[in-house]
Amino acid sequence: MIKIIYCLALSFISISAFSQTLVIKGGEIYTGLNQESFIGDILIEGDTILEVSTKPLKGDVVVDASNKIITPGVIAPDTQIGILEIGAISETRDGDSDIYSMGFSVFDAINPNSTLIPWNRSNGVTSAITLPDFNWDPLSGMASFLLLDGSLRVNGMPDVALTGEIGALSSGSRAESLILLRDLLDFASILDEKDMASSKKISEAIEDFEIAELMDLQPRDVIALYNLLNNNLPLIIKTNRASDILKLIDIKKLYGLNLVLMSAQEATLVADEIAVNNIPVIVNPFDNIPDSFDELASNIRIAASLEKAGIKVMFSESRTHNYHLIRQGAGNAVANGMSYTGAIMALTSNVAESFNIPERGRLQQGMKADLVIWEGDPLEPSTFPSKVYINGNDMDLSTRSSRLTERYVDKRDLPNTYK
Amino acid sequence: MKKLFLLVFSLTIAVDSFSAFESTYKPLKSEKVLFINGNILDGEGNELLDTDLLIGNGKIIALGKGISIDDKDVKIIDAKNKWITPGIIDIHSHMGVYPAPSVRTSSDGNEATSPVTAEVWAEHSIWVQDPQYALALKGGITTFHVLPGSANLIGGRGVTVKNLQRNTIQSMKYPDAKHSLKMACGENPKRVYGNRGQAPSTRMGNFAGYRKAWIEAENYLNKLEAYDSKSDEEKMVESPPKRDLQLDTLSDVLKDEILVHIHCYRAEEMALMIDVAKEFNYKITAFHHGVEAYKIADLLADNGICGALWADWWGFKHEAYDMVQANIAIVDQARDGKGCAIVHSDDERGIQRLNQEAAKARAAGNKAGYDISKARAMSWITSNPAKAAGIYHETGSLVAGKNADVVLWSGDPFSVYSLAEQVFIDGALAFNRNTGFGPVSDFDVGIVDPREDRVND
Repeated sequence: MIKIIYCLALSFISISAFSQTLVIKGGEIYTGLNQESFIGDILIEGDTILEVSTKPLKGDVVVDASNKIITPGVIAPDTQIGILEIGAISETRDGDSDIYSMGFSVFDAINPNSTLIPWNRSNGVTSAITLPDFNWDPLSGMASFLLLDGSLRVNGMPDVALTGEIGALSSGSRAESLILLRDLLDFASILDEKDMASSKKISEAIEDFEIAELMDLQPRDVIALYNLLNNNLPLIIKTNRASDILKLIDIKKLYGLNLVLMSAQEATLVADEIAVNNIPVIVNPFDNIPDSFDELASNIRIAASLEKAGIKVMFSESRTHNYHLIRQGAGNAVANGMSYTGAIMALTSNVAESFNIPERGRLQQGMKADLVIWEGDPLEPSTFPSKVYINGNDMDLSTRSSRLTERYVDKRDLPNTYK
Repeated sequence: MKKLFLLVFSLTIAVDSFSAFESTYKPLKSEKVLFINGNILDGEGNELLDTDLLIGNGKIIALGKGISIDDKDVKIIDAKNKWITPGIIDIHSHMGVYPAPSVRTSSDGNEATSPVTAEVWAEHSIWVQDPQYALALKGGITTFHVLPGSANLIGGRGVTVKNLQRNTIQSMKYPDAKHSLKMACGENPKRVYGNRGQAPSTRMGNFAGYRKAWIEAENYLNKLEAYDSKSDEEKMVESPPKRDLQLDTLSDVLKDEILVHIHCYRAEEMALMIDVAKEFNYKITAFHHGVEAYKIADLLADNGICGALWADWWGFKHEAYDMVQANIAIVDQARDGKGCAIVHSDDERGIQRLNQEAAKARAAGNKAGYDISKARAMSWITSNPAKAAGIYHETGSLVAGKNADVVLWSGDPFSVYSLAEQVFIDGALAFNRNTGFGPVSDFDVGIVDPREDRVND
């Protein structure tokens, strides 16, 4: 009898743990959609949002979010989170390959124990796209998506986009880079499924195409190129000069590319063409410095200007360790004319949509429960999250930094090494 | 004999009275302005709500409630619901020596050819047409200090600059402000010279390098003083010690005529640098970057040394790995609030929003358990950097008699949404966001569209 009760109790616990629902009540909700915020409840079961409503919802566990703002978790579009620990220590960097160019995937290098993960998570970033170094001209490797949940088996999606760069070079010409890009795309466009059937077949195709052979392409580089043309793989191109942006728009139209512009400091000069061609743009809202002769039209209103033109905007931050500062960047974008809702979208849904990341970036029925409850206005850099959920899990917000702080505000008369 | 004596005497006068590269700064035409009903953070730790501020003749005349003035020439600015602060001061800038565009031909901030280059002066590298000054002005920066880079153990002299762009550096230099001496700890010098197979290649090599330089400086100063103490007759037969540019700078530090600013990240290195200063009897004004300053906050307070710090930068080097966001607050609050904390930028983007950086540092400090007011945090970007630049007696706070370096903000300067609306330097309007009045560097003229100026926002 005792045994039976024990078993029953166990099964009860496991069932309830599995089916327990969580309701976050009374927060001001920004859904990540183009709509005004509203006061409402969010019902979550497991990793999924069951309902978001202005009507009261019931759940097993209740979290009070009244007087707080709720947003989707921030998705960082242009980081090296997971493949970089300390900038000046090359052994802690994994963004570069000598052998592979376009076919280089950084996914296997991602370190889920990197201190950058809890740090950015504790500041509201729940997932990130991590990019290889831009070491090849014009196309480098592939970017991967990861959740900042610290899982040792990385939760994410490898190879969500290909990367490249067009612009000023210390030697050579951007014209060569643009021709090379077109030659590579010409090569990819003559390939069919039969050519892609095996590495051997691909190698034969490489031998038949002079530029491909000259560039020492490997079969996996060719697969990446093929996916650009045939599987709608997003192509992130870092570029700044207005005339370069126009050339890239021509190439996008010619080859049917899923182009995403990054940096794009002179995008305001050609905003209408970018908008007409439905090209999302990742901008650094802090960056109004004419840092090169490619960026003379830089100015602080870039995000507002692009939003006004109807362009899907995302935010970047130059320092990957503090990538969460895209929130502060978003606040600056709003201070300089962008809409508040647009800035929230730029931090969340616009990234998920631009990189085909399913079920994230919005607070809606059926989406994964990645969300942040903020103590105040999330675009004020002095606001901290009070709770961060990834896949419905209430994440611990400790960081190496918070632990060190505790040591040094502890006034007990002990060496810090004994605190 | 008498004639000859006079000649020597007049020569001495001539040498003494010529100070090389002296400031020729002249302010713009100042106005008499009464700001009415503004919320004032005075830089001295006070918050004065709904208060008036009167400026004129380039100076702050009065602060108080209901200031009335019978003068038709006074311009009235309604500051209701707006905020007024002192002009923001950045103690660590490389504008001009690392200008935009960042091209190799104008990157003149590091004389990285020898570990000790005390003989170089940052002001000799400054490009006065750098378009970045105007951007900083729009963030409320009225004064900034330009330092040489950190490649060298002793990098050279830094200079304090008024943020009024002119065609010569002499006409931008802050009058009578002391030079700084830039020194650097840690990874940078040992990397730069170690990679060339020369000293220093280790941290202990760094310290040997500093001490060797100070021994030479002491020696030089002793010779100068020995010569000075000689009688006029002796001076006539004996020539003075040969002038040495490098040792001129170092001996000026020993004479307390130059302020020492040290790039240093790690706690133990800062503690060692304090001992080097004691060994050679000079004072350190501030440690810059100091990502680990919080570990020795009491030591800094006890020695009267400021921490010029970032709100949150970390991770780019091993010595910048132990970042805590409460760093600035911990340094500020050391020894019951006797600490000296400064928010610095070292960055052409950060200098445009030091107020936001202070807001982050304050929020992190309060999260860590302190109770730091906005008024207190305002001193991190005004009076404290003024002290560290040796110009506090003239600027850095809104006190009657000081220079009228004033920023009118559209709202609370600790909010990301607030922008500097008007900036006054020495009582003269330097920038007005509403009318578009502001400086345009020659670089910006006709460079994107020949008919227009580059949009420097």
